[in-house]
This record gives sequence, structure tokens and C-alpha cells, in this order.
Amino acid sequence: MSSGTSPVLDIRAVRKTYDGGVEAVRDVSLELDAGQLLVLAGASGCGKTTLLKMINRLEEPSGGSILFKGEDIATLDGVALRRRIGWVMQGDGLFPHMSVRRNVGLIPRLSGQDPARAELRVREMLDLVRLNPSEYGDRMPDELSGGQRQRVGFARALAGSPELVLMDEPFSALDPITRDALQQDFKILQAELGFAAVMVTHDMAEALIMAQEVAVMREGQIVQQGTPQALMSQPTDDYVSGLLETPRRQMRAIAELAG
Amino acid sequence: MNANLAERFAELPHLLSGHVLLSMSAILVGLAISLPLGIHAAGRPRLAGVVLNAASVVQTIPGLALLALMVPLLGGTIGYAPAFLALMLYSILPILRNTIVGLQGVDPVVREAARGIGMTPGQRLRQVELPLALPVIVAGLRTAVVWVVGAATLATPVGASSLGNYIFAGLQTRNWLSVLFGCLFAAGLAIILDQMIRLLEVAARDRRRGLALGVGVSLAMLIMVSVAPRFIAFERAGEGGPVIAGDAADLADETIIVGAKAFTEQYILGALLETRLEAAGARVDRRDNLGSTIAFDALRTGEIDVYIDYSGTIWATVMNRPEPIHRHAMLAEMTGWLWAEHGILALGGLGFENAYGFAMARDRAETLGVTSLADLAPLAAGMSVGGDAEVFTRPEWVMTRDRYGLGVMQTRAMDAAFMYGAVRDGQVDMISAYTTDGRIAAFDLVVLEDPAAVLPPYDAVILLSPEAAANPALVAVLADLVGAIDDAMMREANRQVDLDRRTPDQAAQWLANEMEAGGADR
Repeated sequence: MSSGTSPVLDIRAVRKTYDGGVEAVRDVSLELDAGQLLVLAGASGCGKTTLLKMINRLEEPSGGSILFKGEDIATLDGVALRRRIGWVMQGDGLFPHMSVRRNVGLIPRLSGQDPARAELRVREMLDLVRLNPSEYGDRMPDELSGGQRQRVGFARALAGSPELVLMDEPFSALDPITRDALQQDFKILQAELGFAAVMVTHDMAEALIMAQEVAVMREGQIVQQGTPQALMSQPTDDYVSGLLETPRRQMRAIAELAG
Repeated sequence: MNANLAERFAELPHLLSGHVLLSMSAILVGLAISLPLGIHAAGRPRLAGVVLNAASVVQTIPGLALLALMVPLLGGTIGYAPAFLALMLYSILPILRNTIVGLQGVDPVVREAARGIGMTPGQRLRQVELPLALPVIVAGLRTAVVWVVGAATLATPVGASSLGNYIFAGLQTRNWLSVLFGCLFAAGLAIILDQMIRLLEVAARDRRRGLALGVGVSLAMLIMVSVAPRFIAFERAGEGGPVIAGDAADLADETIIVGAKAFTEQYILGALLETRLEAAGARVDRRDNLGSTIAFDALRTGEIDVYIDYSGTIWATVMNRPEPIHRHAMLAEMTGWLWAEHGILALGGLGFENAYGFAMARDRAETLGVTSLADLAPLAAGMSVGGDAEVFTRPEWVMTRDRYGLGVMQTRAMDAAFMYGAVRDGQVDMISAYTTDGRIAAFDLVVLEDPAAVLPPYDAVILLSPEAAANPALVAVLADLVGAIDDAMMREANRQVDLDRRTPDQAAQWLANEMEAGGADR
């Protein structure tokens, strides 16, 4: 099977049961094509973050299989797999003792790129996330604003030219204006570079604005999956409509003000 | 520069090198053990709990006790080995604890980020977790350095040379300059090492190669300069003095190790043995300031060849006999027992007794009408008795107390150096004095009579290790000292050191001159 025809990510009947019998993820199947953004939405504890972490083997599934570009990830080395998949987390996760330059260049360097090429890659990445390399390259993370730190987090995740990026609540710690700017920039980036992405969020408005596909999870299972439009027009049950109520109300309120 | 100060400086190369070598090796080995152990335990909470508790228990043992305990644990070995082992154990807790706490304190978000972007466990440890925990780990190392450099002064009683020699010897001979000298150099060394480690941390954090190199080179130089005297044979200032007896070639090219416990009389007798043996051609190595039982253990195992002990001490603490017997019977029985049990040769008494006695200030005793321990019982309530740390646990005090009804007296343990002054100045009513101490006469104290003969005899005897006992030349040289010193001579020699501030070597020389003049040849 060539990677051109197979989905980037193919999750098949994946389960996760923790010691003590808690079923965090039950029988979830999903597919994701190149260039697409899939959002996993749902309340805290619904299993969305556990599902995300199984994709790059930070967690091991109890059953089912996950294929990355047609290969079963259980047969791949965890470290090598994670270097091929970008990872962005809530609160940026930058290394506080390393400069912006070292944070972004870490994976290229660890993967054995020669320093000159790695440095070139760092500049390229910082330009991409709209941070001037000569101004920000030597700064330490605590000398940056929250939005700038998250931009560096994206630059670090993309430095290894991944075909898949996993994001755990990447925008949740930011103020609304910064969040909006970063969300827009991310969409441009994704369109430019063409990587696939899975994003976890509990913010339905964010899910609807950004995703091509949304999967709503509840108690470890997907209760509805579809485009934002499909979700809005035909929520399958009260749980999904409940989640959509907040963005709906906000939209109505803003429409009244405008109207 | 005054003579006392000059002499202290003359001892510095030897003692400082011993101190640096001992404490640095203990810290380096302690670091090599506790850092990997801490890294291993940090991710395993149960193991971390177990090792931290074990290390804490070691830490709660007082330093002096820990050092002393290592001697029997190592089968009676004295010197560097037990001191190194104890200090090494001592250094483990702060480094171990801070390594575990530091690594556990790394932000879980950062930890997960390192895993999530694809770092191997080794890369995570070296590039993320250790650098972030470094300030905490270094703080632990600095604590260990300050503790160990300080505690290394306690290596003196187990027979390792350190800056503690200044302190222990100075305390016993009331040479406060010597005590101060030892304290200042030990504290200075601790501060310098502490600051150098701090600078190394700054250099590592800010990636300042020049600073790291500078500090590294000065640290290496400090250690080399301190330790160099260990490896360069330096000539001891040969103090002439008359050759008293023996053929100068008797012990040629032999090295004899002379032990001494930690009080003035022992220093003088150690110096006397040294000049005697050197006059006979031997090289002499001194091990001063040994703890009481440590000295005997060291002799038993041949760590030292000869030292002076007291019949009553051997009787009570080595032979474990509860009741004292008559002076000559005790000497005879002890001699037979030591030879049969351990092959130790009790060559004979020096001729004087340094017994425990109980002394009061003369005017106070006269006011109260006390001349004997038997007079004290009705007055004992509200009175206090001072003594060294050892005496109140010894049968001598227990039997005296019970026999003369002194249980109501308040006991106050203090260093032997202070008790004579304390009783003179009325801070305590009575002290457990050593009968050869020069301060009894000088401070106008009276030793109370012991009509019930509770207090055992304490003949000073020359003891030789099994190996030394098999050396006829050595036995012959030392045999000349048997019966050569009487109570008055020893008291005078002690007085010269304790009150006239002469050195033990000078007092030993005085004793030698007296002996040659036939002073006590009975």
C-alpha cells in the first residue's frame, strides 16, 4: 500500500483500560487524511487526551491498532515515531533553561543534522511562526509573552518536518486576542505546509472555527463525528447540543448587538 | 612571630594535607555513590523513601560516634580508612536527598514535552532533567562539603591526621591559639571549597568556559598544594637532646608507631617514647589523640606498636572486671591476661599512678571540714560534681557514689581541660581529678581520702603490640623506662605544659634529663 492512497492516520477499534479497570477509551476508530485538521472535543475526562497520547505512543493502547502512514505504530520505535510526529502542548512545554534557538533546534540536532543546517532550519521555523530569528533566537522562554512562547512551541513541533502534528489544548492558556491571532496563523501554516493535525480541545467554538472534522467524545467513546456544519445542523443527542449551546448563545448575542 | 604560632604553622602542611585528602576523597566517593543512586531512586518513590530513610539514620548518628564506630567495624583499623568511611557515609544524605528532590521537582509539563518531542530517556536526563535539577543538587553538594570538612576535624581521635589535631591537642593542653588555629583553617577551607563549587555552578549555568576553567584550575591547585606534603618526604626537625640509653643502631631502619590518647600526660609520654626510640635509630610515627578504647584496639591489631595505658582502665574497660583489687595484684593479673588473651606485652609500670581521685578547693574543703569522701554524705544534697565525659559512666564513680552516699549530688560533664578551673572558681563543688595533674598543686586543690578503698589503682604501664613484643631490641630500649618516673615527676611535667605553656616535647625533654640525673631511680 502506498502512502499516497492510505490515510496519514488510521485508528482501528482502539481501547485503553487503566490498572483498576477504568476504561478511558472504548473502541474508537478514526481516519485522517493529509492536510486535514481533526478536533477531538468533549468535557474533561472524556478520554480525548488519552486517545491523543496513544497516537505517538506516550500511552500504549490496551487493544486495537493505530496505523501511521500505513505502518502499525506498535511495530515502530517510540522515540523514532515521536520524532516524525509534531507535539504541541498546553502551556507550551518549552525547556526553560534553553534559548529559543536551542529549543527549536533540539530535534534536528538530536537527529544528527549538522549544526549549520540545523541553524538554517531554526531560522526558517521562526520566520514561519512570525518571530524574527535575530531578535528572538537568543532569548530565554521567560523573556517571551505567552503568545510568543506558544509560537516557539509550534516552531519546535514543525522543525522535524512532520506529516502529522498532535496538539493538546494549544491555545487554552492564551488571552482571546492572542488566541485568535494564533488560530488564524495556524490555519495558514497548515495550508502552506500540508501536514495533518489532531487537536484536543474542550472549547467548542475553537473546534467549530478550526476543524475540517470534529469528533465529540463522551466517556471514552465517540458520540458524534462530522464536519462542523453537520454538527451544528444535526446534533445526535442532548450531550452534543449541550456542548454547542455556549457558542450558539454567544453568536446570538453578538448578532443582536450588530443587528 | 611568637613561638607557639610558629610551631602551629610548622605543623600546617602535614595536617592540612591530611584534612584535604581525607575530606575531598570522602566527598568525591560520596558523590559518585549518591548521584547515580539519587537518579535511580528519583523515579521510584518507594525506593527513594527507603534510601532517604537509611541515609537519614546515618546522619542522625553524631559525627564523633560515627567515626569511632568505624574502628571496631573495620576490625580495629585506625587512621585514614575508618575516617574516610564515616565521612563518606556522612556526605551521602545531602547529595542523595537533593538529587531526588531536585529531579522530582522538575515541572511535569517540561518532562512530558521532552518525551513528546522524541527525546530518549538518556537525553531527557542529561539535557533536561539534570540541568533543571542542578541548582538543587549543587546546593546538596555544598552542604555535604561544609559538613564533611567540618566533621573531618573529628578524624583525629580515630588516628587520622587532620586540622582536628590542633583542636583536640589544644583543648587538652589549654593552648587556645592552637584550638583557634584549627577552627580558622577548617572554616576557611570549608568556605573556599563552598564558594568554588558555587562558581562552578554559575559557570555551568551561564556556559562560561573561562570561569569554569579558572575555578577548576584553582581548585586543582588548592588540592595539589595541600596534598603535596603527603607525597614529599619532609625532614622532621631533629631535636637533639641527650641520648639516654641504648645502642644507637639497635632499631636502625625500623619504623615504630607510637600511640597516645588525648590528654597532656599522654602527649608528654608519647614524646618521651619518640625521643627514646629515635635515639636507638628508629623512625617514629606518632598517632596522637586516640580515643581510649580505640588506642587499645589499635594496639591489639598492630596498627600501633606501643602506647602507655593505665592498669585500672584495662581492668575495668578491657577485662570487664567489676571490683578493683590491690595495686600489685592488679598489675600482675593484668599482665598475665593481656599476654594470654591478646599476646600483648605489658612491659612494666613507669613508676607512677594516674588514678581517679575526687578533689575540692582547699579553702572550701576546710570551711566545710571535709578531708575524706566519707565526710560528704550529709552535705551532698545541693552540691555538684564535675568530671570528664567518661567518668560518670565508669564504675569508679558508680562505686564511689553508692559507697559514700553521693547519689544526690548533681553531676556535670565537661571537658577535662575546664574542670580544674571550674572547681577552683566554685562553679562546681568537687571534680573527678587525675592524681598526676599539675593543676592540683597549682590551683591549691585537695584530693579527698578514700577510706573504703573504692577507687582502683591506675599504674601507668608500657604496652606493646604482639608484633612489637617479638622485637627484642625494641623491648630492650623501652625496658629502661620501667620504674623511671614517679608521681612527683609526672605531675611536674604535666604542670609545665598545662600551666607554664611549655610544649609536650619540652616537658618530655625535662623528664629525660631528670631520669638521667637519677631522679626517680628506685
